[in-house]
Amino acid sequence: MSSGLSIYIATLFVYAGVSIIACWGLDLQYGSTGIPNFAYIIFQAIGAYVAAMLTLGPAKHGSVITYQQYLFGARLPYPLPILLATFAGAALSVVVGPFLLRRLREDYLAIAMLVLSLIATVVTEADVGLVNGTTGIFNVPEPFGSLSPATQSWIYVGTVAIGVLICAAVVRRIVHSPLDRVLRSVRENEVAASSLGKNVRGAKLATFIAGNTMAAFSGALLIEFIGAWAPSGWEYAETFVYFSAVIIGGRGRRGGVAVGAVILGVGISEAVRYLPTFGDPSLVGAVQFMFIGALIIAFLWWRPEGILPERKRVFRLPDEAPLVEVESA
Amino acid sequence: MSLIEQGIGFGLIQASIIAIASVGFTMQFGIANLLNLAFTEVMSLAGFVAYATLSHSVNLWLSLIVAACVGAVSSLAISKLLYDPFRRRGAKPFTLVIVSLALNLLLQNGILAVVGPSFFTYPVTLGQENIRVLHARFSGDELIIIGIAVGIMLALHLLLRFTQIGRAMRAMSANRDLARSSGIPAARVEAVVWAISGALAGIAGVVLFLNVSTFNPATASSFLVVIIAAAVLGGAGEVYGAMLAAVIVGEAIGITSLWIPSYSTVSAFVLLVIVLMLRPEGVRGILNLSREAA
Repeated sequence: MSSGLSIYIATLFVYAGVSIIACWGLDLQYGSTGIPNFAYIIFQAIGAYVAAMLTLGPAKHGSVITYQQYLFGARLPYPLPILLATFAGAALSVVVGPFLLRRLREDYLAIAMLVLSLIATVVTEADVGLVNGTTGIFNVPEPFGSLSPATQSWIYVGTVAIGVLICAAVVRRIVHSPLDRVLRSVRENEVAASSLGKNVRGAKLATFIAGNTMAAFSGALLIEFIGAWAPSGWEYAETFVYFSAVIIGGRGRRGGVAVGAVILGVGISEAVRYLPTFGDPSLVGAVQFMFIGALIIAFLWWRPEGILPERKRVFRLPDEAPLVEVESA
Repeated sequence: MSLIEQGIGFGLIQASIIAIASVGFTMQFGIANLLNLAFTEVMSLAGFVAYATLSHSVNLWLSLIVAACVGAVSSLAISKLLYDPFRRRGAKPFTLVIVSLALNLLLQNGILAVVGPSFFTYPVTLGQENIRVLHARFSGDELIIIGIAVGIMLALHLLLRFTQIGRAMRAMSANRDLARSSGIPAARVEAVVWAISGALAGIAGVVLFLNVSTFNPATASSFLVVIIAAAVLGGAGEVYGAMLAAVIVGEAIGITSLWIPSYSTVSAFVLLVIVLMLRPEGVRGILNLSREAA
């Protein structure tokens, strides 16, 4: 297999892995708990930017500014940038969470978070000193730089695979725990959950932080591979793509969300690549989004539970009689 | 001093465009209880249709009427074919937001696919001479925009206050079930509201494209959050509230643009987030705008 093809396939695997991690994080927030976090992409961006800045080194050497401007930097060895970037995402969630997670009508909350995402994009583009504005941060060196490109890529696939396994373990731990029951009760009826004495605010904050941490992790993984990150890559529509993946794949179910992530994150981008070229090259992006829009409307109409619906939970009593069957919507 | 007046003047133009759009948006929210995120794409569609007619030497006023019709028809179609079926199924408001966002993507990229990513300008100039009003300079285009906005607000007020259909609209917005049991034909009034708000969207699209120096398929959607800000600030569903809020938001943008130009629309965004988080009902109740004198 030629080196080019090998790198291409490795790239697909990396994108798939990153999408899966990102969608699992969003599914924790929206699928399990019902938080419509339209500001999700901000946390992925934070992860990417922090990882980049911690790999590239400081922007200023003495009083000389390098060709990119950003707020801080350090030249840390791999995998520290990724770990610290993940932590940055968690830290930001702790700060922002209490303000955002009020009891508000679901669609109002979605709009508020979408607007936050927009504010973040505008501020990043306007304030060049923050993270190099519209140009974004680029030339981030890949780890294992001394090896050949093909070997590098496949080692990175291994890194991403480890990341996916870690996140799978984390999500599994949450799903098979009492916390998960609290989350789903919050999702179905917040008032009832609260009246039963469940710590609704705490549960929501916990999933918010957990989900956003995974977002930051996915962003850090992504930028160490592709080497560049700019505001045009994290417009508010990107969160919508992740939402689509969760809804189409099947919210509340890890396998379903993973399927959705692969279809929407990798499948559509690559499938459109192989269509015969027609008209303007920029049409390709337009057709992609049109297809996603139509797909999501179709799914919401005909199969709102997604490709792999959420599993029914059966709680058995000790005498083996299933008294309570809980089918989540 | 004249700089502030220039900012206020600029804000007034913004307020005019925002007013037309946000009144339409808030009408749709009031009648259907859904945030129609595809609103700006109806604006965009009508704006581009107007571009086509203007390029064939149709005059501005006729093009405005064409745009209003395009907006009305497409809004009616969207509501009947997309939103109503989902609403009849009992879809949650959030699901409708996702649907409308999906439609936004569909329409915006559909327009992009048809006209291409390049920038356009309306081939109209109605008087470039600057007219001075208290140290603020307005061009002919801008005065026309303000005039159109004022005219529309007046027409809406007359419609809501003095016509039977206007009363029916207000009744349905206040208490739908009571209105229906009073004999008001809900489906028909809803259709009228969608048509009128769609026409407003069409006019707003033309006015927006007229005001900016160049526009492309993405221009209208950058306006969406500003429109939502005005609609929510004025109290979702309140027409008069939206008019007032449009002035507030417009002036906020105008005055911020004096100090920090690149952040001028961000002020509207921040305003919206604060309003949503702290007082989602906006100015509803503070001013009792829609209550009639006893």
